Amino acid sequence: MAVGVKVMKRPGSATSYVRATLKGMALTFRHLFQPKVTMQYPEEKSTEDWTISSRWRGTHRMLTDEQGRSKCVACGLCPQICPANCIKLVPGEDEQGNRYPLIYEIDEFRCVFCGYCQEVCPEEAIHVGVHYENSEYSRDRFVYDLERLCAQTHPVSTLWDPSDPRGE
Amino acid sequence: MNKRTVELELATPGLDAQGRPVRVPLTVGGTGGGEVAGQVAVEPGSEHMLLNIGPQHPATHGVLRLVVELDGEVVVRCIPHVGYLHSGFEKLGEYRHYNQIIPLTDRTDYLSPMANNVGFALAAERLMGIAITPRCTVLRVIACEMSRVISHMVWLGTTAIDLGAFTPFLWAFQERERIYDLQEMWTGARLTTSVTRVGGMMADIPDAFVTGLRHFTETFPKTLHEIDGVLTRNAVWVGRTQNVGVLRREEAINHSLSGPMLRASGVAYDLRRDKPYLDYETYDFDVPVGEHGDVYDRYLVRLEECHQSNRILQQALARLPDGPVNVDDPRVILPSKSRAMSDMEAMIYHFKQVMEGVKAPVGEAYVGIENPKGELGTYLVSDGSAKPVRWRIRPPSFINLSSLPKMAEGHLLSDLIAINASVDIVMGEVDR
Ligand code: SF4
Ligand code: SF4
Repeated sequence: MAVGVKVMKRPGSATSYVRATLKGMALTFRHLFQPKVTMQYPEEKSTEDWTISSRWRGTHRMLTDEQGRSKCVACGLCPQICPANCIKLVPGEDEQGNRYPLIYEIDEFRCVFCGYCQEVCPEEAIHVGVHYENSEYSRDRFVYDLERLCAQTHPVSTLWDPSDPRGE
Repeated sequence: MNKRTVELELATPGLDAQGRPVRVPLTVGGTGGGEVAGQVAVEPGSEHMLLNIGPQHPATHGVLRLVVELDGEVVVRCIPHVGYLHSGFEKLGEYRHYNQIIPLTDRTDYLSPMANNVGFALAAERLMGIAITPRCTVLRVIACEMSRVISHMVWLGTTAIDLGAFTPFLWAFQERERIYDLQEMWTGARLTTSVTRVGGMMADIPDAFVTGLRHFTETFPKTLHEIDGVLTRNAVWVGRTQNVGVLRREEAINHSLSGPMLRASGVAYDLRRDKPYLDYETYDFDVPVGEHGDVYDRYLVRLEECHQSNRILQQALARLPDGPVNVDDPRVILPSKSRAMSDMEAMIYHFKQVMEGVKAPVGEAYVGIENPKGELGTYLVSDGSAKPVRWRIRPPSFINLSSLPKMAEGHLLSDLIAINASVDIVMGEVDR
């Protein structure tokens, strides 16, 4: 154990314009022959060094069951935890007494993409998704309703998912 | 007496009794009355000029506005105006559960989000008397040091650009991107990480993370040496930074500075060493201090801190223990997804915790951590409910910024840019 103190001395040798400039140019030229780090987005969406993380927290997706209905049981946990208050949920009940959402809307403009909704959902219904290109032509298109959330097809984040045991 | 007055709207205009915006007179000429914030009084007959820099100016590093009184090229007085990015985080926090506040802390000092998350979680845990697990401790050290590296890299790049050196900026940002890739791998977000939870972390690191970070720590010093090679002995860099914005020891202490600003003035004060948290006292590292307290020394100190952070990261990787990340307490930590969906008791805890939040006992807690920019203090007061009554942030860069008028006096206008850059402000944190 040793937390020391290091006094930063100024370099003793003389500074110079010419030597520093030449040195800088030499270094920069050396960089010309190193592998490129840039990515030609949007033609290229991943490189050898980087692909988007499977834990990415992007626009939401609601998972559906075999009949194509949303898995949500309108338990009310996600609107409660959402720090941005951007989930609107009106619960309903069908003839068998099953709860389902009458209205389920997420305002993606207010959302801060914290992923808490996915973390708390006991039915693994709402998920943040691995998706990042969200442009639209009008503001109201950013309020995603239940139909739109169910129709999303991008992969969902593996955080808080049994498929990624280290993700809790 | 020849008196001219320029009316100036305040940064955050209030309304007077007639409902008109309050305007503050900036008086040039005349002896001027008492000093009001935003009011600049100039000697009679002088040729002084008032210049407004910002808030929309790339060299002010965010929406900082500087009103500068100039005598020719020389700064006579410099008054910073803050508040353009005020978001009311502290007030918002009073309406949120402790865990719900964590996304807000991402957005204060957005150049070191992970360290802010850790600072808040430590304060909440001290309030609740929770002891975190050994693995979580080491993971949080990794989070803090990664933040220090990216914050200093951004500082270095932008400051070099301000002083006319473009190339180091690209190299520094490249390193930052590599850390962002690691953060993305861990948390699913590059900037708004929200990595901690009260009593643990949002998630354990994925398998590829350790290899990725080890590769980073091996290759990162090369970039630091390159930056060192182009800047440290470069006559242009030295000329623009040495003996500029000097703060002596006593002044630095009197301005209650912290972080690299304080250490560059020769005060060896680092919370990691002096008030250790997260077992920092068991790591091997040096606290760099400067001798002159000028912009150049701040550069040397920050560059060396990157080397030291790299050392800490290597040691943390070597000692990373196995075991659980979260404390084993169902009142604090949500049960895992598979348990919550199969086990009735876990499900009940899950619902109870989400609906009611984690309750803290009545009391207060303060935790200061060594953020990249200085001492980030988090002060929490609890009345026994699941939401804090008061959440106060001690923002290091706001307090460091208070020394700017003192440092800028008597320097050239172009030096003001260097001095302002050397403070390393983040307006998200200054204005909160
Ligand atoms: S990601 Fe966060 S902010 Fe967005 S809807 Fe879910 S809980 Fe709300
Ligand atoms: S937490 Fe899940 S089940 Fe509950 S309301 Fe939200 S989406 Fe529906």
